[in-house]
Amino acid sequence: MAVLARGAGTDMGAAVWGTLRKVCTTLTGAVGFVIVVLVMGCALFAPWVATHNPDALDVMNRFAAPSGAHWLGTDHLGRDLFSRMVHGARVAMQVALSAIAIALTAGTALGILAAYLPARSERFVLIVFDVISSFPSLVLALAAVAVFGPSTGIVVVIVAVTLIPHFGRVARSQTLTLKSAPFLEAERILGASWPRVVFFHVLPNILGPLVILASMDIPVVITIEAGLSFLGLGVRPPLASWGGLIQDGYQYLSQTWVPVVVSSVALGVATLGFTLFGEALRDAVDPRIGREH
Amino acid sequence: MHTDALRYLGSRLITTVLIIFGAMVLLFTLSSLVPGDPAAILLGPQATPEYSKRMIVEMGLDQPLHIRLWRFFSNVATGNLGIDIVSGRSVTSMISAVIPYTIILTFSAILLAVITGIPLGIYAATHRGSVMDSILAFVSVAFIAVPGFVIAIFLLLIFAIWLDWLPVLGTSRSGDWLDELKRMILPTVALALGWVGFIARLVRTSMLEVMGENYIRTSRAYGLSERLITYKYALKNACIPTITILGLGIGRLLGGAVLIEIVFARPGLGRLIYGAISERNYPVVQGAVLVVVVVFVLVNLIVDLSYSAIDPRIRHGSAGQGGGH
Amino acid sequence: MADLAPVTAPTPLVRIRDLRLEASTQRGTAHILRGVSLDIGRGRILGVVGESGSGKSSLASCLLRLLPGNITRLDGSIAFDGTELLGLDEAAMATWRGARIAMIFQDPMTALNPLFTVATHLVDVLKRRHPGIGRADALARAREALVSVGIADPDLRLAAYPHQLSGGMRQRVMIAMALLVQPDLLLADEPTTALDATVEAQIVDLLEGLRRKFSGSIVFISHHLGLVAQLCDDLCVMYGGTVVETGPVAEVLARPRHPYTRALLECEIEDDVQGGRLKSIPGEVQDPVAPHVACVFAPRCAHASDRCRGEVPLPVEVGDGHRVACLRLGEIG
Repeated sequence: MAVLARGAGTDMGAAVWGTLRKVCTTLTGAVGFVIVVLVMGCALFAPWVATHNPDALDVMNRFAAPSGAHWLGTDHLGRDLFSRMVHGARVAMQVALSAIAIALTAGTALGILAAYLPARSERFVLIVFDVISSFPSLVLALAAVAVFGPSTGIVVVIVAVTLIPHFGRVARSQTLTLKSAPFLEAERILGASWPRVVFFHVLPNILGPLVILASMDIPVVITIEAGLSFLGLGVRPPLASWGGLIQDGYQYLSQTWVPVVVSSVALGVATLGFTLFGEALRDAVDPRIGREH
Repeated sequence: MHTDALRYLGSRLITTVLIIFGAMVLLFTLSSLVPGDPAAILLGPQATPEYSKRMIVEMGLDQPLHIRLWRFFSNVATGNLGIDIVSGRSVTSMISAVIPYTIILTFSAILLAVITGIPLGIYAATHRGSVMDSILAFVSVAFIAVPGFVIAIFLLLIFAIWLDWLPVLGTSRSGDWLDELKRMILPTVALALGWVGFIARLVRTSMLEVMGENYIRTSRAYGLSERLITYKYALKNACIPTITILGLGIGRLLGGAVLIEIVFARPGLGRLIYGAISERNYPVVQGAVLVVVVVFVLVNLIVDLSYSAIDPRIRHGSAGQGGGH
Repeated sequence: MADLAPVTAPTPLVRIRDLRLEASTQRGTAHILRGVSLDIGRGRILGVVGESGSGKSSLASCLLRLLPGNITRLDGSIAFDGTELLGLDEAAMATWRGARIAMIFQDPMTALNPLFTVATHLVDVLKRRHPGIGRADALARAREALVSVGIADPDLRLAAYPHQLSGGMRQRVMIAMALLVQPDLLLADEPTTALDATVEAQIVDLLEGLRRKFSGSIVFISHHLGLVAQLCDDLCVMYGGTVVETGPVAEVLARPRHPYTRALLECEIEDDVQGGRLKSIPGEVQDPVAPHVACVFAPRCAHASDRCRGEVPLPVEVGDGHRVACLRLGEIG
């Protein structure tokens, strides 16, 4: 990995644009990118993209087949499926982005800290990481939900916590590699203060791999949230989550298969798109990221 | 066994114990965070005030935190995971009743995934750039990305409902093992599909990396057959990064198994935890989660130890001690 | 009076004529070998000397035909004892590797598979060379080979894994492996470059001792002229993908005719000269992507003329087996 002595914010914009173009040169990258844009668009502009109010009940019209009025038909309570699907994107993105943002911040901070701590404390941090990693995320989420009850906030916090070791370890190893870089030594000798070294030199250099890791984690979080909502333990109804939609459809599978298929496809395509995009992004920047342990 | 290997084993064991210890502390903390009166919660809706008070004294819930922690640990050590508040059975017995189902499902899925995935990965690596390779690449990503329970539902839809080839839900009532087997097919395949893709890609990537190494070039330079190089040499080298990443993914597998058990209405740890959560049955949740964590950690330990079986460098305590010139 | 038929030297084991190798890179087509012609004598040791980028390692790879995937062109002729190697298909070529041609690589640290013992490496190579050989027999031969390369305690080393051996020892194992298959041609690609100076000296001694026992030809590639002078019978000087001078080593060293060869010799550090500046050849090796229309050495040559910059020099015989590729041959002393 090229280690450059950059101040924060130098030609990042050009680098981002160039990377995006590189991603789109591959078929998988381009497809992924298109899907990501689509999903983000739905998430951001849900009220305008959706044709109906996702919570509007119309029980007389339940299980309606797809038609001009309801593009994808209605669910067991007569709510428009298309609108619920679009709003599901919003929920998925909200949970995913907030959980990852929290995990990224906390994990990076802990990781950098661990790199500078004396050996004992560092080992402690690493053991904490190991303990958290020893819980499969879904299971930890289940345990937490059992205690605190289902809610969006809990899901976000739990998922964030399970991802912290992931970012923490990478941040730590990147910082360790960086620590021995000559330019950092030079800064220290020149008497640069600790926060300055971290924010202006360490952070910009390790941020790249971390951001890519984050983008590769988005589909993971979407899946966990969907899984929890499927179990009824995620976001509170009547909020439309893809997982919840699948559950609703699953319950009434005997009546119609449309809701299940529609929401599953939405979930599947979204996770696929983000996965393809994340991998193309990684390959465009540095294929070795994500293989470090 | 060399002392280096023993030392390695020792340190791994200590780490494992520490992790389990930490996990127990975490679980205990979680359960002590349960809002509301602990006895009322533990007893459920049948709690009367006197009964609650007796309960509190008996279970030592009024004791200070560290004593409760100690009781928790000693209980777990003796295999006592608490009492199910609904039925009064011991949590341990409940768990041991259902755990075989989960283990069989997970194990079969891994086996299926490995048996299918490794040859596919080798094929993709040795036929790089072919049509099959591209198809495989796309399909494997698709199955990895799409969540297991979604695949499960689709399989259910297609094979059990539309085509009616296989029985749908639950385990065999008749006890007939053929029926049992048929009911296992869909869940196992659903769980395995995501993994086949994952393993195939992993093997492909590792093999391609290994094939570019200098020691493979040496084998080629001496005219060893491609077959020998691929299956004896390169495959063994490729196993190491494969196992590493497989080990890291076991957690996801367990999570997936939970959901799939629920989709197919099969008994197992997943359903147990799920049911217990709905009933606010904390001892069961706590006990089951603990068991899952322990299994997970032990599996990781086994994965780690299998490295040293494959990679002699770890057995002998890493890089070049060479003797003489 | 009848003409005495000229005494002909035995035919060379390998005749390489006009070998061209091109590869596609990000910046264009790289000309790695630009028309290389040379002979490898039977039972003789040929030293190939040149800077990095001269193509000497690629030459060895061509002889084995183990080339990287980005090669776009391999033309010319490699006549090995009558057989045209470049005309063989891959399956046929594979039968030559590890049987009639063997190679020792530059980096002993990565040349052996870390997950397999030395015994496994040697036995597999032997089994391929002599199908049907029994394991006990193969192990015995492997053991003998280790002894012959100066490894004391061969049984211990046979059971060892590569990471348990030092660099020098691993290189000895590689040499043993090469000798085990009894090749007609042994290619040694900078076998001592990655080793410490003391170990290097030991390996060179080993090679000198072995040449008496080994009846095949050896190609010894190095950037170290002194080493080559010590060990080899014939010398081939390469620059920028071409052979600039070749001939018997004593002859070439005593009467170097090509400006590059002369410059190289001057660069060699002499023991008895102290306090002077180290000589170097000004300029850089030419970019392999540049087209081949002139003498490759011209940009750095003190004697370059306009003709040199516009015409490709062809090898000219100046003595018994001594060939030089220089347009100004007669004019430079």
